[in-house]
Amino acid sequence: MDGKFFSRGKIQDLRKELQEADHKDKKYAKRKTVLKKIVANITMGNDMSPLFREVVACMSIQVLEIKKMVYLYLVSYGRGKPDEIQYAIGNFLTDCNDRNPLIRALAIRTMAYIPLPLVIGSMIEPLRHCLRDQDPYVRKTAAICVAKLYVYDPKLVDKEGFITMLRDLLADSNPTVVANAVAALTEISERSDDIALKLNLGVTNKLIAAMGECSEWGQIYILDSLLNFVPQTSLDAEGICERILPRLQHANSAVVLTTIKILMFMMNYISDNEFKDRICKKMGPPLVTLLSSGPEVQYVTLRNILLIIQRRPLILRNDVKVFFCKYNDPIYVKLAKLEIMYRLSREENFKPVLAELHEYASEVDIDFVRKAVRTIGRLAIKVPGAANACIKVLLELMESKISYVTQEVVVVVKDIFRRYPNEYESVIPTLCDNMDDLAEPESKAAIVWIIGQYANRIDNSLELLEDLSYTFLEDPVEVQLALLTAVVKLFLQKPDQGKDLVSKILKQATEEVDNPDLRDRGFMYWRLLSINAGAAKDIVLSEKPTISTETDRMERGALDQLLLHTGTLGSIYHKSPESFIRNTKPKWLSDSPALNTASRQALMMNIDDGPAPLPPGSIAPPPPPRNLESLDPKSSLANRDDGNGLRSPVDEMGRRPHELDDDQEDDARENGNNVDDDDGDRDALANERYGDPYANLEQAFGGSSAFSTNSASRTKGEDLIGF
Amino acid sequence: MDGLIILDGSGRPIIQSNFRNHPPSYPLSIVDAFNDALSKTLPENRATRSVDSGDLDPVLYISSTASGPAICCHVEKGGLRFLCPASQDIDPLFIFAFLERFLSVLQEYLQDISLAVLKEHFDVVYQVLEEMLDDGKPLTTESNTLRDIVLPPSFFNKVLSVAGVSGLSNATPAPFSSPIPWRKAGVRHNKNEIYFDITEDLDAIMARNGTLLSSTIWGRIDCNSRLSGIPDLNLSFINSKAFSDPSFHACVRLQKFAQTSSLSFVPPDGNFVLMEYQVSPSAVTRGSTAMSSGGLQNQLLNFVPLILKSKIEVGEKGGSFTFTVTPRSGSEQLKHRLGVENVVLSLGLDSGAIGAFCTASFNSGGQGFGGSRDKEREERAAGVWAWEPNKKTLRWTIPSLGSPSASSTWTLKGTWTSTEQVPRPCRSIMMHFQTPHMLFSGIKVDQLRMTSEMYKPFKGVKIASKAAVEWRW
Repeated sequence: MDGKFFSRGKIQDLRKELQEADHKDKKYAKRKTVLKKIVANITMGNDMSPLFREVVACMSIQVLEIKKMVYLYLVSYGRGKPDEIQYAIGNFLTDCNDRNPLIRALAIRTMAYIPLPLVIGSMIEPLRHCLRDQDPYVRKTAAICVAKLYVYDPKLVDKEGFITMLRDLLADSNPTVVANAVAALTEISERSDDIALKLNLGVTNKLIAAMGECSEWGQIYILDSLLNFVPQTSLDAEGICERILPRLQHANSAVVLTTIKILMFMMNYISDNEFKDRICKKMGPPLVTLLSSGPEVQYVTLRNILLIIQRRPLILRNDVKVFFCKYNDPIYVKLAKLEIMYRLSREENFKPVLAELHEYASEVDIDFVRKAVRTIGRLAIKVPGAANACIKVLLELMESKISYVTQEVVVVVKDIFRRYPNEYESVIPTLCDNMDDLAEPESKAAIVWIIGQYANRIDNSLELLEDLSYTFLEDPVEVQLALLTAVVKLFLQKPDQGKDLVSKILKQATEEVDNPDLRDRGFMYWRLLSINAGAAKDIVLSEKPTISTETDRMERGALDQLLLHTGTLGSIYHKSPESFIRNTKPKWLSDSPALNTASRQALMMNIDDGPAPLPPGSIAPPPPPRNLESLDPKSSLANRDDGNGLRSPVDEMGRRPHELDDDQEDDARENGNNVDDDDGDRDALANERYGDPYANLEQAFGGSSAFSTNSASRTKGEDLIGF
Repeated sequence: MDGLIILDGSGRPIIQSNFRNHPPSYPLSIVDAFNDALSKTLPENRATRSVDSGDLDPVLYISSTASGPAICCHVEKGGLRFLCPASQDIDPLFIFAFLERFLSVLQEYLQDISLAVLKEHFDVVYQVLEEMLDDGKPLTTESNTLRDIVLPPSFFNKVLSVAGVSGLSNATPAPFSSPIPWRKAGVRHNKNEIYFDITEDLDAIMARNGTLLSSTIWGRIDCNSRLSGIPDLNLSFINSKAFSDPSFHACVRLQKFAQTSSLSFVPPDGNFVLMEYQVSPSAVTRGSTAMSSGGLQNQLLNFVPLILKSKIEVGEKGGSFTFTVTPRSGSEQLKHRLGVENVVLSLGLDSGAIGAFCTASFNSGGQGFGGSRDKEREERAAGVWAWEPNKKTLRWTIPSLGSPSASSTWTLKGTWTSTEQVPRPCRSIMMHFQTPHMLFSGIKVDQLRMTSEMYKPFKGVKIASKAAVEWRW
């Protein structure tokens, strides 16, 4: 046989061959060969459409293999032949009545592939028959055809009563038919504005019963459809959890993850905390098992785990070692693991985590190393008990003199200063010694901030800032802003020394720079300093609120919403899917008497303030955020003042300085202070409100987003601290 | 899922499903975007060393296609790339699970997945694809059922078609007539036999101080069933408490397992994965080997029969290294004199590495071979080393440990050169080895009983374990 079919065929030759094959074609062997050649040519991208009539003529041959190839041809070219398709209709109709169920199904399936009025018109009656066919294979094929037809002509589908017929199929005796009917209805409801799939308890129970005998795909369809069931009581939800729990042992990874999605969903409606804890415990091991699969499945799983553990911190709480990176893990797996390691770390287990991070920071992959250093910094900020050890490791890393490591260290140490004021300033000289390595804007801005902030304690701060501001006019705006603020700080702390420098920089910023932000800020300082230096000191050098890691937690309502997309693209990219993929309806938790208070509050907030639907086909930037920070002019000035003024207000909004940490929450729970109805709810109640639920998603995931085009460039999201 | 595209090694599409809901340029734009993204990850286009070629985001986001933004999931097999684009929100695991299934079906149909085989049997691939994927929805993916609808391209079928038995009369007239969805109806075999392959994989990271940092043991049971009729089987185990987090083929009765820890099932015909599990570390304490004070992790150390000591010195434009491997006397394998085979150590050198030279030696530790013939034996025992320039990896293979004495040592000494001023080799050395005839978990098949059929089947069980240990130096 070999590849002989894959030779480029000329239309005339093939036509001739097909015509000649008409004679003495024993068992149609000749025509089979020619048809194979034609299909091979389609595969190669050669246009075979001129042979339409000849190929259609073969439709009447009662050989399955030939029929399949003709149908394959029709699927490819039928749509483009509105004038000639009529020659195929008769054969289609004959095949729809064939005694072989395979052929009946093939015919109706192929017709549904050809969206021409003539074909659609003639398939209505056969489709109706097929939906009631005695053979389940035909029925399940027909169910999917209804969904296809809906894409072309929703009104027709409704008018002909196909939706009702699909609903009837939910009670079919064959589980695969049930599953396909569910899949079709789900798809239709996702495309439709007025048809929504709503399941009541009775139907839901029947579906779950059918699931046991379904194929894995059928199980996924059915599980997915359970999102359309809104439990009215906690017991309903518990019952469903119990019944789908065995699916966690399925070999198909998608079944497992979909089951977890439904469990997470149902838990919003469950009031019994012990029950929820039990479910949470059962979800951990299957998630770990998924990590034994190929890197692709691992990646998807890891991204989902990251979401899940933010909502239910009990899950995988003690399994941080599972996420240690292997050196031959692909980079995307490593980055995802790193993030989870950070999330799972706390006072009791930070030591092995830190040791691992230290290890990673000595590896060769630049992205990974940078991220590891960042994570050490974030660990220090998250876990106070770890700060000392983290600083030690960071200083050790600086000794390597690798420039990108040094730069990362400077950036994170700045954050640590902000978190623990007056504790670690002794390391400043070491940082300053490595100033020459700081070529990137972010690290340069960081060291500038440090020098400005601690101008008093650094003997040669003037000298250092003079050096750094030498290139002021060429620096990126991020650095310029930092320099501007730093020299003002220097002047306020050491008026004699800083005088010349501050006037030089203010002059440059206001006269030689085009950037309005920079210019405005320059004028503001200038005026402030000239009118009332005392007030300037109060404002610029005011006490800054300490930062915390809470900035990078996801807002509860958004989290709940994303978890409805567990396993889907939204959970990979940590964005609401309607924002980057077409034809997606936003999903919300549905209210019911059983919905937990906190979930409801988060939900209400989201519905009020939720983002407007985005135009299809665009990855829209977050809508302009509303600044909901306190309006105290002093504090907002202080915010502005601190150097990296380039940061968008989004960051500032995301900051929640005085909040309970995950882990404290957990600990409180373990100590029996179980006052809340839900483990993630406490903070939702305490939170201030946000304009855009997705505003800090990027931030929440350390920016290892698949959208960043240049992996070496850091996304803003990685920044832990804003100012 | 919108469909499936198969690319050859150079990124040209060779087979693709029909993208009915999309403009014809849609699959093309997916292929272009994929090839583009792939070329960016190639080593020569990357600033840093790529550890492995698979660094491309497995769920690739493509912001503009003829149908708006889309994603593309992809896997590689046999030098071919299998792409599944989707322009709607979907569970990527759903796609990957489908791809995995599709590949295993192809494997079963064609024995081998490669460009040549796919081209030769493209019609079969098309037919299978059509049955498995209908407008992005997986349709029939059980290979037992598929074989009812699409005939595998076996020699037998060629004979049949020449003899004039057409496909139509050959396919079972009533597909899906089997009462058991995963098993085709009316299976007949002349020889009734069933085989189980139990394999376990130890995955571990060894810290610099020689303790286990993290470790997991995964296990799976593959089954090849060639039994007639509808055999109802019950497979029971010794030490089944070691199974943790099992996942099963659809045929296994879950409730029965929960009650008796045995597998009760009616198997599909042919090859399938019966069960996958993790080995719970607390269940692997063996008989007299009482738990030592070092805890479970150190208990697992006894499954690593070798101790690796490595000294790597990095100098200017190169460096030198010495790896010394000695047996771990308390290890399970050596204690029970189980053969340890295919010990492979590999070290990834820096991206500028251009070559290495080493000598491997073996010291039997007393017994001594002596004589010229023994010299040969000694050389064989020392193993062979190789430098793989593409992967910048040094590989040392010791085919078999034989039966070493406590003081046996294997040594690999050498140097490498590099174009980099300060080379930075990988921080870990990978050690792979196999122990046939042993399972880490100590699980054994107790018995296999069959009800509902009268014949006596031939039963076979094979066990083996593999390990991949990452040693940090």
